[in-house]
Amino acid sequence: MTDGPPLLDGDSDEPSLRLRGTERAIALGFMVATLAALGLAVLYALGGQPQLEGVLLALTLGGIGFGIAGWGKYLMPNGPFVQAREPLASTAAEREHFAVTFERGSEDIGRRRFLRRLLGGAATALGIALLFPIRSLGPNPGDSLSHTSWTPGARAVDVNGDPVQVDDIAVGGIETVFPEGHAGDASAQTLLIRVSDEPVVTRPGRESWSPAGYLAFSKVCTHAGCPVGLYQHRTEQLLCPCHQSLFDVLEGCRPVFGPAPRALPQLPLMLDADGYVVAQSDYREPIGPAFWNRS
Amino acid sequence: MSDAPEPSGGEPVRHGPGWRTARWFDDRLHASDFARRSLDKIFPDHWSFMLGEIAMYSFVVLLVTGLYLTFFYVPSLSPVIYHGSYAPLRGLSMSQAYESTINLSFQVRAGLVMRQMHHWAAIVFIGAMVVHLARVFFTGAFRRPRELNWVVGVSMLILGLVNGFAGYSLPDDLLSGTGLRIMYSILESIPIGGTWLAFLIFGGPYPSQDIISRLYVIHILIVPALIALLLGSHLAIMWHQKHTQFAGRGRTETNVVGVPMWPTFAAKSVGFMFMIAGVIAALGGLAQINPVWLYGPYQPYQVSSASQPDWYMGWLEGALRIFPNWEVHAFGHSIGNVFFPAVLLPGITFGLLFTWPWLEARFTKDRDTHHILDRPRNAPVRTAMGVAAIIFYSVLFAAGGTDIIATTVNASENSIVWFLRGAVFVLPVLGGYIAYRLCNELAAASAGRRRAPGVIVRGPGGGYEEAGPAAEPPAATGTGGD
Amino acid sequence: MSLARRPGRSLGRVIGRAIGRVIGPVALVLGVGLATALGLSEPARAQVSPPAPVAAGLVARGEFLYSEECQTCHQADGGGELSMGIPSLHGVGAAAVDFYLSTGRMPEANLTRQAPRKPVSVDPADRAALIAYITTTWPGGPPIPMIDIAGGDLASGGDLFRTNCAACHGAVGAGAALAHGAFAPSLHKANPLQVAEAIRVGPGNMPVFDATTLTDVQVADIVTYVEYLHHPDDRGGAGLGHTGPIAEGLVGLLIGVAGSVGIATWVGHRTEPADLADSEPADLADSEPADLADSEPAELAEPADEELAHD
Repeated sequence: MTDGPPLLDGDSDEPSLRLRGTERAIALGFMVATLAALGLAVLYALGGQPQLEGVLLALTLGGIGFGIAGWGKYLMPNGPFVQAREPLASTAAEREHFAVTFERGSEDIGRRRFLRRLLGGAATALGIALLFPIRSLGPNPGDSLSHTSWTPGARAVDVNGDPVQVDDIAVGGIETVFPEGHAGDASAQTLLIRVSDEPVVTRPGRESWSPAGYLAFSKVCTHAGCPVGLYQHRTEQLLCPCHQSLFDVLEGCRPVFGPAPRALPQLPLMLDADGYVVAQSDYREPIGPAFWNRS
Repeated sequence: MSDAPEPSGGEPVRHGPGWRTARWFDDRLHASDFARRSLDKIFPDHWSFMLGEIAMYSFVVLLVTGLYLTFFYVPSLSPVIYHGSYAPLRGLSMSQAYESTINLSFQVRAGLVMRQMHHWAAIVFIGAMVVHLARVFFTGAFRRPRELNWVVGVSMLILGLVNGFAGYSLPDDLLSGTGLRIMYSILESIPIGGTWLAFLIFGGPYPSQDIISRLYVIHILIVPALIALLLGSHLAIMWHQKHTQFAGRGRTETNVVGVPMWPTFAAKSVGFMFMIAGVIAALGGLAQINPVWLYGPYQPYQVSSASQPDWYMGWLEGALRIFPNWEVHAFGHSIGNVFFPAVLLPGITFGLLFTWPWLEARFTKDRDTHHILDRPRNAPVRTAMGVAAIIFYSVLFAAGGTDIIATTVNASENSIVWFLRGAVFVLPVLGGYIAYRLCNELAAASAGRRRAPGVIVRGPGGGYEEAGPAAEPPAATGTGGD
Repeated sequence: MSLARRPGRSLGRVIGRAIGRVIGPVALVLGVGLATALGLSEPARAQVSPPAPVAAGLVARGEFLYSEECQTCHQADGGGELSMGIPSLHGVGAAAVDFYLSTGRMPEANLTRQAPRKPVSVDPADRAALIAYITTTWPGGPPIPMIDIAGGDLASGGDLFRTNCAACHGAVGAGAALAHGAFAPSLHKANPLQVAEAIRVGPGNMPVFDATTLTDVQVADIVTYVEYLHHPDDRGGAGLGHTGPIAEGLVGLLIGVAGSVGIATWVGHRTEPADLADSEPADLADSEPADLADSEPAELAEPADEELAHD
């Protein structure tokens, strides 16, 4: 061990931390690891159990690790030893040599500017062409973000497809509904809230939107798209669980706290001849968070 | 390896199989000299230089456990009815991705421990990278000639975040599915190309049928390959440039003081690897993580309260929660609210991280080569800015759990949001200032190492004053200690 | 209503028709009156409290208790004081009274915050008395639900729970904060009857799920699942409070990363005073560029040659 890098001045190569019990401790580490590994095999054969598997595996790995690391720390030469750092920058001679070699090879390329430019053009064209298959990854968004599957006269159904009758929801009650035929549709998901027995006007122009006190709002939060699931019926507010945006139901789900920038779109409702709750039309604005082409 | 020294005399000797194998390779690769230099290589082995190894060995655990998981997990959103052993899900419709994760957790022997070790290893991997980055930052190890390695390292951190998000989204459970919806909205919010980006990455409007299989390829192939490549470069550059070291007895800018690779450093490092794996194994068996069977399969109209992403995304979640509800609407176009906290903020964050070595070199006008590390106290401005940054992102992380804080301390969620909106600006400035002053005090105390720190005595008039030599702060430069 | 004989009709038929014309409306009036008396004034709730035959003594005891425990806030006429956040008890129903009293939420003196669950101060007998009094004096509202949780479907209950309940109470029923200091409580102490009552009553900010929104079978399923959530399958180890990634992150950082760093301080070298001794800036000035010339690769190769010679 005295060959190789010299010791730091004043230090001896004797592992100064040699303790009498060290070898025994390392040996114990290896033995524990062996037993634990055997235990692991037996445990697996018997059916396994997650907590025991984790503990036994930890003992195996930890025992081996403790042994090897302890061996290195206490029994192997720790020096400290010294070694020189060569300067990382190349010498002027080395750089010159490189430059000469490189120029020898690139001289011809350098002279033929026209060919070089043509090659560059071809390579660029290839690069651009190779980007085109990326277009196959998905469809053109078009204006699909501006519509949902609600249509005029579509009945509101619950997640099982059962339509909602006018007497189905008590005042203070809420249900998640979808247009008939699209139960479970992510962008059409709508909150149906019964705030009273009488129609409620949330904003001017929406006088006919809430028959029998039913209000319908898009469940897709205008902040980041989470389902706005928390209805506080005493304060008549909707709370989004993701980032705590708070919406005032009676004022058309106007945001009153939190990061949501716009009100939840309201779905205009009416009752059909049989007393089912149906939509007058699709939402009058795109639902959910904003995107570039959402004016 | 029973090597008998060659006696002088020319008698034939028997060599062991190990020696013969090594000789076989050497005859074909001319390896002896390189191997000797490698074995002789001196490594400074301060404990704070092992933080990167925690990350590296967690990555090894990720690869091993991850490989095992790929044999059981099915990356498909095709619906299937569950008929397995976990009663509360029996008969429910779910995706194959979710079902295979449930089966892995309930019916594959040792499957749950492997799954949990994999997830805990990811938590430790990213945590260790952050701690390692902090060590490198505060000691100025990113300075010339190590700017390149700094960039490689920050790239690995970003890739780790991406892969963590992709990985925990694979089970298609209610919690991670909520996060995917948020990610979709974030992509949508990007100006000009955001909608296209969302449609191309996801394969259509939300929810798409393709996202899980695409995330799977990203998670098991693309990103791990990139990380492995970058990790190899990271180690190779560090190997070639030699590790930095703290100032100390006998340590100069032109030497390396430490332990040889063979046998000491190899033993310590390999032993450390096993111990890190042991820690992860203990967590994997004793601490439950991501119990997706309790969250239920993802349905886009369901959500749970107290939904948070994994910790390393917490700062983004917090930014989303406390950012005011501003949105830009102009000329028929919109820039969605989430763009600012979830795209602009991380863009600035990583932009600053990447360019820091050059920014600091420009401000301190220090373009020298450094192999001796700074003590944080000797670089008060850098330390103060680092402390301020840590506090800033920690406040954002806390903001990611406003509802949990509200429940724990029985306060109004809304008051907490307002408090954090102020704290996110005030606390970093305060903390940075305190750190700056502390650095100056500590540097003054240790500049004269044999001098006792200032002793306070009470004078006859009742006032307090510092006895002994007055501690003057050194001229505040960006770097020091050379 | 002319009773005049018309040609071609028998007297019997005329009398019969007359009786019919009188009895009909009278029967109608009596019937409506009876129905009203029985059905009583209903708010827009689909269920009706049947007029249970209660012992007069129970009602009297309930009246006494009401005056002692409840009247101060809910007023003698049971109308409450909405401006102070005290709800009216008119038509609340037996389920609501039983829920609030059996969870200890009532009696509650603090008007500034949402009433939390606390140790019960009204014993079951007194509770029955109060229910009797309140439902007799101010009838209406949902009755105490009859639910059969032995037959409840765990899987269906879980799905319903996640659709209707998890948004407020959390996927594992751990509860969550609502806006402005309100909260959806943890469900871990709620017994099956209390869960069913809360679903039908919609206490506080909780929405009202009546029998047409969630059928009795569905309520039984949900109750079964909530029972399960009291002891969920935590086969992965310590449940960490079921609060999700935040707790997991803290454990991962404080135990996983910090523990690993601790191990590193054992494995690696720690700066000792001896390392720092004599390392004044002057020492570093001694390493002049000339020193570098001494440590060329050729020098390091020399010891190696000697090693090879020894082999």
